Amino acid sequence: MTQSHDNPAHKQALTIVGFLCNWCSYGGADTAGVCRFKQPTDLRIIRVPCTGRMDPLFIARSLILGADGVLVSGCHPKDCHYAVGNLYARRRLEVLKRMLPFMGIDGDRFRYTWVSASEGQRWQQVVTEFSEQIRSLGPNPGVTGKSAAAATA
Amino acid sequence: MNSDLRSELHKKAEQAWPDLELLIGWQAGYDDLHTTPVFIRDSAEISKLIWNPWCTQNLAVYVAKHFAASSGKDDKKIGVCVKGCDSRSLIALLQENLVARERFYIIGMPCKGIVDLRKLHALSGAARILSVQVNAEQVALKSAAGVLHFPLDEVLMRKCRRCRYPNPLIHDVLVGDPLTPRTDAHEAYNDVAAIERLSLQERLAFWQGELDRCLRCYACRNACPLCVCQDRCIAETRDPKWLTQYMHLPEKFMFHFIHALHLAGRCTECGECERVCPMEIPVALIKEALNKITLELLDFEAGLDPQRVPPLLTFDAGETGI
Amino acid sequence: MRIGVFVCQCGTNIASTVETEAVAREALQHPDVVYATSYMYTCSEPGQQQIQRAIQEENLQGVVVAACSPRMHEPTFRRAVEKAGLNRFMFEMANIREHVSWISNDRQANTRKAAELVHMAVAKLRFNHPLSPSRVAINKRVLVIGGGVAGIQAALDCAEGGLEVVLVERQPSIGGKMAKLDKTFPTIDCSSCILGPKMVDVAQKENIRLYACSEVESVAGYIGNFSVQIRRKATCVDWNLCTGCGLCMEKCPAKKVPDHFNEDLGNTRAIGIPFPQAIPKKATIDKEHCRQFTRGKCGVCKKICPVGAIDYEMEDEFISEDFGAIIVATGFDLFDHSSYGEYGGGRFPDVISGLQYERILSASGPFGGHIQRPSDGRQPRNIVFIACVGSRDASVDRPYCSGVCCMYIAKQAILTRDHLPDSNCYVFYMDIRSPGKNYDEFVRRAQEEYGVNYIRGRVGKIYPKNNHLIVQGADTLLGAQVEVEADLVVLATGVEASAGARELAEKLRISYDQYGFYMESHPKLRPVETNTAGVYLAGVCQGPKDIPSSVAQGSAAAAKVQALFSRDTIETSPQVALVNERACVACGKCIQVCPFGAIQWKELRGGIQKAEVLPSVCQGCGLCNATCPPKAVQLQHCTDNQILAEIDVLCA
Repeated sequence: MTQSHDNPAHKQALTIVGFLCNWCSYGGADTAGVCRFKQPTDLRIIRVPCTGRMDPLFIARSLILGADGVLVSGCHPKDCHYAVGNLYARRRLEVLKRMLPFMGIDGDRFRYTWVSASEGQRWQQVVTEFSEQIRSLGPNPGVTGKSAAAATA
Repeated sequence: MNSDLRSELHKKAEQAWPDLELLIGWQAGYDDLHTTPVFIRDSAEISKLIWNPWCTQNLAVYVAKHFAASSGKDDKKIGVCVKGCDSRSLIALLQENLVARERFYIIGMPCKGIVDLRKLHALSGAARILSVQVNAEQVALKSAAGVLHFPLDEVLMRKCRRCRYPNPLIHDVLVGDPLTPRTDAHEAYNDVAAIERLSLQERLAFWQGELDRCLRCYACRNACPLCVCQDRCIAETRDPKWLTQYMHLPEKFMFHFIHALHLAGRCTECGECERVCPMEIPVALIKEALNKITLELLDFEAGLDPQRVPPLLTFDAGETGI
Repeated sequence: MRIGVFVCQCGTNIASTVETEAVAREALQHPDVVYATSYMYTCSEPGQQQIQRAIQEENLQGVVVAACSPRMHEPTFRRAVEKAGLNRFMFEMANIREHVSWISNDRQANTRKAAELVHMAVAKLRFNHPLSPSRVAINKRVLVIGGGVAGIQAALDCAEGGLEVVLVERQPSIGGKMAKLDKTFPTIDCSSCILGPKMVDVAQKENIRLYACSEVESVAGYIGNFSVQIRRKATCVDWNLCTGCGLCMEKCPAKKVPDHFNEDLGNTRAIGIPFPQAIPKKATIDKEHCRQFTRGKCGVCKKICPVGAIDYEMEDEFISEDFGAIIVATGFDLFDHSSYGEYGGGRFPDVISGLQYERILSASGPFGGHIQRPSDGRQPRNIVFIACVGSRDASVDRPYCSGVCCMYIAKQAILTRDHLPDSNCYVFYMDIRSPGKNYDEFVRRAQEEYGVNYIRGRVGKIYPKNNHLIVQGADTLLGAQVEVEADLVVLATGVEASAGARELAEKLRISYDQYGFYMESHPKLRPVETNTAGVYLAGVCQGPKDIPSSVAQGSAAAAKVQALFSRDTIETSPQVALVNERACVACGKCIQVCPFGAIQWKELRGGIQKAEVLPSVCQGCGLCNATCPPKAVQLQHCTDNQILAEIDVLCA
């Protein structure tokens, strides 16, 4: 963990919403915790059974309302607990990712990835990278123009 | 020429009538500039059918929403008149098994384009339009201020100027000869590209300005042939509660995300959503942007091949790059 | 709703970096929260009692526990609230240990995060509904796929318990790899002497039906009610008639057929029984080599067969069977050492695999148990064993340890020294892995009693010279180059996933790792279960292991099936999709995308169609929910409203 994560004086709270599939990535995040792999603290995880459960509208809504970032993570393609849920998801999520900037929402605020239950280290890396990325983008003005800090206050 | 096509339409409708229980087409409206849909249940009414550059309504909307489930008496079919763009909506409905091909008798109308009334009014200025004549590629507009002439192309709807499919892609009979597609159709996504050239902040500002006018009247949704939820639309349900009745900008954005994302990989670009918007919000642009994405990413255009499955309703385990 | 919030300190695991008291205090601010507290160990007996007492005293209708991962203790707390009279689904967990206290030391940020996670859990809980499981009947028949020692053990244990068992084996005989072994470590038992009686048991048990020469074609259904199609491959011999007399094998004119049972070291005939102890003892025609098929004429076996069992026109047959559980014991294949160019790439006849050497040692093998070189039949004097061929080697994509090679080399070296006291045995090894009972002692005996030369180091090159094989390697302990003039080189070829393992996994909807070994449900606590309920694993198909472990897993899988079948019905999870018929617009998209075929059309009065979920088939993935445009189908316990409530806490 770097100093900037450690010292609250150096940062403004960000809101990053995570949607993790129960079988792989949620387990991967647990594994990272069990291994005490230090991570930035901005992520809030919502547990879903499968990335196939992810309606892109959940992500759109989060970003419209002013979430600073949205991270979706599931089982690696072909390793889906439900066989094919993530194969549907990756098409839908990629379409959303490309549509967001057309509407004026930064596509870099949304990332989807695949982390297995055993990949604690990879999870740490994903969270750290994505949190850094969102930090560098700054607060999401949302569609109303108000700052995310005001939105979540 | 229009009257020739009209009599050809009448003749072909008469020929088909013994197999039909209903024929959906266009009829004259309250003035020269307006047409309305007509639902013919009696062969005597076939003479009401018209065909001209004002026949703007996409009649496929009635097919899915009202008649898909109707069971034909004595195996009789439902006849429907479609332009090239409308035919793609029918194919999209077939792609999703929302209608059965054998229930329909499709009268295809090769189409040179439909006149955009808003453009016409803009060109005539404040003066009231008395009559309009379309002759070949020219439009003669007669108003209290005199007669004005324009090239037809100038007053066509936005969707027509980017039309790549003037001829119905599915039909049982054609009225008139097939047309040659426009040569500038490769610029189909020019309007999308124009937005894409703006900065992220400018794009957000553009949509904030446009969508702020949205009344959430849902006319765009009702006019869409592929919005099959209608009264069950999640923009209006309490359970699940996706939207409130507040008229805040986030709610308006959310509604248009719902409408557009529900059409991702399905929209056939008939442009009806945009035409019916009372606030003149370019809502079709959002769907065009999604179509550009699904074309580039998944090599799919809705409403072309009845056998293909819309890309977000299937998967490819082997696909790479996403 | 009256909600109670319980914030666990987990000793100091949480409390050291999260202000649990503050989290509990803040929880009281949220709508519907009427009680909140913090406790040292919420999962302990007194901790659970505290929750139960609060449910009674405060009339709680819902409970939130902020503690460890729900993957850890959600079942524990669900049971606890259920005992106090709440429905177990009126419970939510906030993960403030694995996702908060353990990943950051920033007390202030952690406390904020924990409080928000609790807020999300409360917001979700407000949309929870009591759910009740439904029950489905169990078909108490079990399918065992694979007739190696693990599958045999599983089949026998199940049959012993009175279950009806179907055993499907791809080869003409059961026995698997163990049937090919000469002796087993560390006891030097004769392999076929200990396996043979078990194979006979399989044939004699009335409640085991054996389908040899058969494969699983397709699998449908779910725990308690699987429907499996089995392909019985055409053997061209009617097994109902064949007596196993072997006359056909004697008279078959195709004599140069590679003998796969003997690892291609000898020849066999185009028709025959793979080995004398085969079960079932029935003949099979090898169409690839049979003259009737290759030349279109012959018919010798048809003429000679005393019972008229030969049928050249026989075609594959498909049969359907229903089962309540499936045990997968498909075993392994041997790594193909031809990818090692430095060991000759498979071009030297006297560089052989470990299993080939087993056949050479075996009295029923190609050379009658006399150790001789495959090339010229000469008795070897210097024999070199090379460990880790296709194991612990990332360059051939086999970074894992095969687990058995160190031991089988020691065994083969001991047997070699027994057979040929004048021979010299050399073992090139990386490390010796001998953690089993009496295993390390066994390796020591090879070194100390039998005088096997163990050289720690890799072999760099093998090349032929004057009818010998020169083995060049390094002795890393001495730091010297070593060169041995060998007569025979035995490669300790490693274990890899069985051919077709991935295809079978797809049919069974179970996961496999990057090497094709099947994934157990939990590496420690659920070692023979898979993530597909009702499908269990046994033996090397799950990962490399030796015979005792394979047998233990076979028994463990059988015990799991027995436990499952000890009830007449099973509970199905109520966390399944449910259609609101009034909202369903009958677009059929849910039916189209459901990976399990769990949604079908239902016809209401007047011919109106609506989607309907079969709760016992639904696995609860929620793909239908994400796909449904009017959101008429909702995944219970993970509804749109619940997810939206969590999002809104964070973003609105």
